[in-house]
Amino acid sequence: MEINLDHVAKLAKLRLTDAEKETLGKQLPSIVDYIAKLQEVDTSNVDPKAYLTDATNVFRVDEPTTLKAERDAAVGAFPKSTGDALEVPGVFGH
Amino acid sequence: MSELLTVKAIRDAILEGSVTAEEVTKNCLAKIAAEDAKVGAFLEVFSDRALEKARAIDAMKASGETLPRLAGVPVAIKDNMLLAGEKASAGSNILRDYTSAYSATVVERLEAAGAIILGRANMDEFAMGSSTETSAFQKTHNPWDLERIPGGSSGGSAAAVAAGFVAAALGSDTGGSIRQPAAMCGIVGLKPTYGRVSRYGIVALASSLDQVGPFTHTVEDAMLVMEVIEGRDAHDATSTELTDKPVAELLEPTLKGLKVGVPKEYFIDGMDPEVRARVEEAIEVFKQQGAEIIEISLPLSPYALPTYYILQPAEASSNLARFDGMRYGTRAPGALEDSYLTARSEGFGLEVKRRIMLGSFILSAGYYDAFYKKSLAVRNALRKEFDEAFKQVDVILGPTTPGTAWKLGEKFDDPIAMYLADVFTTPANIAGLPGISLPCGFANNLPVGLQLQAKPFAEMTLYKAAAAYQAVTDWHTKIPQA
Repeated sequence: MEINLDHVAKLAKLRLTDAEKETLGKQLPSIVDYIAKLQEVDTSNVDPKAYLTDATNVFRVDEPTTLKAERDAAVGAFPKSTGDALEVPGVFGH
Repeated sequence: MSELLTVKAIRDAILEGSVTAEEVTKNCLAKIAAEDAKVGAFLEVFSDRALEKARAIDAMKASGETLPRLAGVPVAIKDNMLLAGEKASAGSNILRDYTSAYSATVVERLEAAGAIILGRANMDEFAMGSSTETSAFQKTHNPWDLERIPGGSSGGSAAAVAAGFVAAALGSDTGGSIRQPAAMCGIVGLKPTYGRVSRYGIVALASSLDQVGPFTHTVEDAMLVMEVIEGRDAHDATSTELTDKPVAELLEPTLKGLKVGVPKEYFIDGMDPEVRARVEEAIEVFKQQGAEIIEISLPLSPYALPTYYILQPAEASSNLARFDGMRYGTRAPGALEDSYLTARSEGFGLEVKRRIMLGSFILSAGYYDAFYKKSLAVRNALRKEFDEAFKQVDVILGPTTPGTAWKLGEKFDDPIAMYLADVFTTPANIAGLPGISLPCGFANNLPVGLQLQAKPFAEMTLYKAAAAYQAVTDWHTKIPQA
């Protein structure tokens, strides 16, 4: 099967090197051919199911809690910050 | 490498006072210091922290307090499990310097039960791999033969137990990542029913498949660990309130009258004949112990692996979208899009890129129905096939893997050959069943694993059968003499 590597890389937010493109260009089509084996299975009488548990809409009580240590640790782990805020490159105008 | 280190023996020795938790911890740390350079099981050893926790257990004992269930038992956790204040990198460069802001529920429960966490174990990057070779940091060697892989993706956890560095370790199993390395390292590995154990604080691979479980030498030890980690957790909505909570001391191992299904599809062309022979010998043991062996057929089995290689990359590509260098990891320079691309392209290894690409392709417009939606239907069909089988049998028996541990590097450049190592383990993840791998002998001096699967939440059935098998065999007592 043909795979447009550049298009898929764009969706995947990956910049592939020429060497990676060459390797994946060979491997991905053969993996896709392998998984395409599923077309042999007749599934006309079964519903697709993303999860197999019976659980639906698991609710919990909406109570405020304090997670000071966790919060500080998470903020402390930011690669870039201004005060307590996460600093990110501009989202607009590129 | 010396004697069998079990959870039960250590716990009992500490309880009765014949050894202190500090002595046990020091012995394990010394063994790791002396031998892990050639095994490579650990990415990091938490020596000071472990000793401090061990002394706290000894202080509890000295003051006459009741000790918790796993007091002083040395354990390892996989590098994708968070322990507050310590690093967790999921075997990836993109999380090389990440420090956990909180602890995973399973890790918290282990510590609350008195277990001593000695370190974080090596793994395939983001648990993508069957040999632990895709780790960004180091190779792990099989303690039975240092030129061979330990299996994967929880290879560090398995090797740490097999080498006698710890009595138990936690792994995660998305398509066989506990059972497969357990088989290849000659120990017990349990993948619980989907929903039995919380995944909160575990770096997600494929959320509809991931489960956490133990590596140990004995079934009894696996139960002791499970008792502590399993059950409902408000932080993981898929975790379930358990109606039965097996207790190790109350287990009555037996194979009498057990209906054991042996699917003909689990003995495939191209499997190692020695592995097949060991599994057939195990079937004989089951028979002698009073089990009824029933030949069954699971015709959809050959489709489990291709189903897995749709579901797992699709879910992984989505789960790994969060690694962009913004909130954690390394921030790459440049404007937003450029920063994302650089952080991800430099941070992920080739296997991870391969699966993110595959997943993105599968979920892309024009292919979603043909691949992803189709795989969800096959998933449901597979589950129904198991449901039917379990009307007739109590457990399903087969090999854990088609072969034994291969040499480092042997399959590294051949993804499909590597993926085939999981051919017998992926069905349990896809259908949400529990599965256990038990040592059942050796093929060319390498351990062979026997897999038992049961219906969802029937872990007790697995424990009874597996413990009964261990009661009349001694494969699980063999340890590598490297």
